[in-house]
Amino acid sequence: MTPPRASAAMDRTYRRMLWPASLAVGIFAIAPLLGMLALSFTDFHLVRGWSGKIGIHNFLRLFEDRRFVSSIYIMMALSAFGVLAQVVLGTAIAVGLDKIVGKWRVARGIFVVPFAVPHVAVALIWLSLFTPTLSPINAVFAVFGIEVPALLTTQTGAITAIVIADTWATYPFVMLIVLAALQGISPDLDEAAALDGATRVKAFFRITLPLLYPTLLMVALFRFIETLKHFPLIFVMTSGGPGRATQATNYYAYVQTFQNSNVAYGASIAVFLFLFAAAISFYIAKANARLSDA
Amino acid sequence: MGSITLSKVVKRFGEAEVIPPLDLGIRDGEFVVFVGPSGCGKSTLLRMIAGLEDLTEGNIEIGGRDVSHLAPGDRGLAMVFQSYALYPHMTVRENMLFPLEMAKVDARTARDKVARAAEVLNLSAYLERKPGQLSGGQRQRVAIGRAIVREPSAFLFDEPLSNLDAALRVNMRLEIAELHETLGSTMIYVTHDQVEAMTMADRIVVLQAGRIEQVGTPLELYEQPRNEFVAGFIGSPRMNFIRGAEAERLGAPTIGIRPEHIRASRESGLWGGRVSVSEHLGSDTYLHVDTDVGPVNVRTAGEFGVHRGDTVWLNPDENAIHRFDAQGLAL
Amino acid sequence: MIKVTRRALTATLLLGSTALAPMLAPGTAAAQEREVNVLLFSMPSTRGLAALADDFEAETGIKANIDVVGQDVFESRITLSFTGGARDIDVVHTPVIQVQRWVEAGWLEPMTAQIDGLADKDDILSGPLEAYKVSGDYYGMPFFAETGLMAYRKDLLEAAGVGVPETWDEMLEVAKAVDSDDTAAIAMRVAPGQGFNMFVFPMIMRAYGGKFFANYPDDMTPAINSPENLKALNTYITLMNDYGPQGIGNFNFPEVVAALQNGQAAMTVDGTSIVSQAVDPAASKFADQFVLALPPGGPAGRSPAIAVHGLGIPAGSENADAAFEFVKWATSTETLSKLAINEAYPDFTRASVAENPEVQAKYADVQENFLDLRVEALTLALGHYRPLIPTWPEIGAAIGENVNAAVNGLMSPEEALEAAEDEMKSILAY
Repeated sequence: MTPPRASAAMDRTYRRMLWPASLAVGIFAIAPLLGMLALSFTDFHLVRGWSGKIGIHNFLRLFEDRRFVSSIYIMMALSAFGVLAQVVLGTAIAVGLDKIVGKWRVARGIFVVPFAVPHVAVALIWLSLFTPTLSPINAVFAVFGIEVPALLTTQTGAITAIVIADTWATYPFVMLIVLAALQGISPDLDEAAALDGATRVKAFFRITLPLLYPTLLMVALFRFIETLKHFPLIFVMTSGGPGRATQATNYYAYVQTFQNSNVAYGASIAVFLFLFAAAISFYIAKANARLSDA
Repeated sequence: MGSITLSKVVKRFGEAEVIPPLDLGIRDGEFVVFVGPSGCGKSTLLRMIAGLEDLTEGNIEIGGRDVSHLAPGDRGLAMVFQSYALYPHMTVRENMLFPLEMAKVDARTARDKVARAAEVLNLSAYLERKPGQLSGGQRQRVAIGRAIVREPSAFLFDEPLSNLDAALRVNMRLEIAELHETLGSTMIYVTHDQVEAMTMADRIVVLQAGRIEQVGTPLELYEQPRNEFVAGFIGSPRMNFIRGAEAERLGAPTIGIRPEHIRASRESGLWGGRVSVSEHLGSDTYLHVDTDVGPVNVRTAGEFGVHRGDTVWLNPDENAIHRFDAQGLAL
Repeated sequence: MIKVTRRALTATLLLGSTALAPMLAPGTAAAQEREVNVLLFSMPSTRGLAALADDFEAETGIKANIDVVGQDVFESRITLSFTGGARDIDVVHTPVIQVQRWVEAGWLEPMTAQIDGLADKDDILSGPLEAYKVSGDYYGMPFFAETGLMAYRKDLLEAAGVGVPETWDEMLEVAKAVDSDDTAAIAMRVAPGQGFNMFVFPMIMRAYGGKFFANYPDDMTPAINSPENLKALNTYITLMNDYGPQGIGNFNFPEVVAALQNGQAAMTVDGTSIVSQAVDPAASKFADQFVLALPPGGPAGRSPAIAVHGLGIPAGSENADAAFEFVKWATSTETLSKLAINEAYPDFTRASVAENPEVQAKYADVQENFLDLRVEALTLALGHYRPLIPTWPEIGAAIGENVNAAVNGLMSPEEALEAAEDEMKSILAY
């Protein structure tokens, strides 16, 4: 028999502290999720209503729908390149800022600024920067007779443009988390590496970076899941164009639900996105456990 | 080889002068301990030798070569940190291989060196473990192992034992001393613990406020402290200082007498007083006595059966009295 | 047993779909007596209307809570309100483009009796008003009717020695002559969307005799894949790619306006809201050089674009009387005159507003025949310029995306129209 522990009362208190959050998650996250799941098995249409049909027809349709399949490729391109760019840039800036002390620490504040800009405003800023007739970039190069190509009129260009805008707006998130992680790495390690004859670059790649891996993996996961939800940048910058070249899956779910009134089908896309994000999170959480196992 | 010479070395952080101009010579193969209270600049001085802190002025030579402006890794030194500074994501083997890889030592030689060092340090069974899976003492040995594989011209130790418990500290002290015997390399060891300094050092450098108060062998410092600071810092329990009329009667503004150089008696003596605290260790008895000339600590060999409130008489050994002038310098 | 009402089901979905689109919580609680809640989406006229809310209260004693939101938020919010049965909106912004769909879904209250009872009903422009008639009933009152016009730089056309293009074929010639390194000949919207490129492209389509359906509304067989439409699409592509500014393939409202105002484009064909900004001296560097005219025509005549916005009353409104009071006030001669004077666009929907001397003076100042041009364009405009069918938003988007893909070279014009035709068929068959 386990003897009663003095800390049992404390455990109970902690559990009680979880109740409000559990309730909120139940009402605002789980219930709607179940509702969405239920909808995805119907044929509910905003205008025509529900015929009473129930089944997996929406999910079968998903894999015959070329627009859906191509939306996944677009989403993956936006997410993969976006996350890569954000993690590399955010980490690079964090590493630079970490060593800066004294009055130059205000630089940290400056580098965080884009994070505070609302997404729609970010989209408008970059839309004008990528519109040749409005962009100061094109104007500057035009002085030297160089014509900067219009990014938003080709698929590769438009995806690049969205990735750039997204990276600009969200690298501070990566930067802040990496900065916090860097503060947790003892400066002795850098000094030990210096005495061991490592150059700064080698010390970074052999010591600092491996110690950041668990953090980078988590931050990449957060960013990845966020990028699956791309909407305002696409809505404002490209309207899904050129053609349908930037209709990522989440945008396509919006098109089906609100523009085409296919609520049930839109719900099945949302369910797919949820499962996809959950699977990736699970996989990465496992990988992370392996990494930080040491 | 491993001789180290500091000439007119100065360190300033902004306006604050942490190390005023300082000269010091360390011979090849010597075990030198920097000792002093915290904030005395001993760690800063060590880090300047390592290259982790820039010199404001002056220069440092190692083995006759001016290294003042060389990167830490190019000075041929190895350092053991207080925190051990092991790379947490690498195994013990990888930790020890790292400096060799950086020095581009070929893989086979490197493996051999690591294996030998592991054997010397009793680490062979732990080579595939990560630092997080080791005890404090084992980590300390890995840190030393990482230092010795490089065969540096000198070792630097920055308070390496302060994170260990008392028993382990005594063991590691011996191990380091043995290592010095075996390798014969120059070692500079920083500590605030004068017992470590006394037991390990060939020569001790006593620092205060960035200044060298005295350099000498442990016995020189014990027997002939140059000033009150050194006299008070070296030796345990601390030397008694007596001022005023009694000091003048004995020939100086201040006199110092170590507790072990005073004989206690129940019957008679020079200074009479009342015991305020008595500590009975069996091998020794420590008495704190309130006397007419002030509080005096006494150390007597064996058991001496007095207790709080008892009257005792104290007889200082005339030949062991240290005399200091008004500035605190030994006369 | 799964027994879920449609409303509950949809409300649940919409709560859960916050990831899909930005959305606001429903607004103020159920309206009190003598209060109306009005939901509008943001455009100059609706912002102007919101600014006049106090006048309404002063006249009628009814307080109007006017909420003006972005178009994407608007869409989510009314969907939530209508399907969830929230009844928190008494008057809703009702674009003609949506009216068929909303009526089919049962979201709007007919207002035939009230409109027929208006003493000055005849004063309302009949084209815009009749567009709100679905199966014999009116479901909205227009307050805004935008028509398509052309704006051209007389200095640049003169310098190139060409006249004003009367047809799209002539436009090709004129654009070729006018286009230069400094100034593109023409800028039009190309961004995909039923309200973006599909607002302007049908002007070219219809001029060449192209149609959406074989014979609207009697034969609703898709006819987008016709030789006439192909000719129109080729004209659009040539104009945009050969004589348009760099990056035109993603141009929307603000980019076109900026190109005109900054002297980067010599011509445009679009709604009054765009062309009037080219002639606005406060914003346009070339206001005095821009001239307004009717859009070019073709073998099938001229077909100026038309966009009508109005106000409707959501079905089941418990506050319908006060709601209609608001609709009546917002579409009255007096209010529309104030808007025509306060705002930059003459998009009013009552003939009497054009009689107002202050209105006349204001627009004569811009261009002497501005108001006449507008009347002429309104007369020429087809009521079903964009087909008045419930599935138009979906069909318009599908065609718009394919047309955009063709302009940007993602597919050939033939492929684009073929794809649009196929998609129309499957949307209609569903």
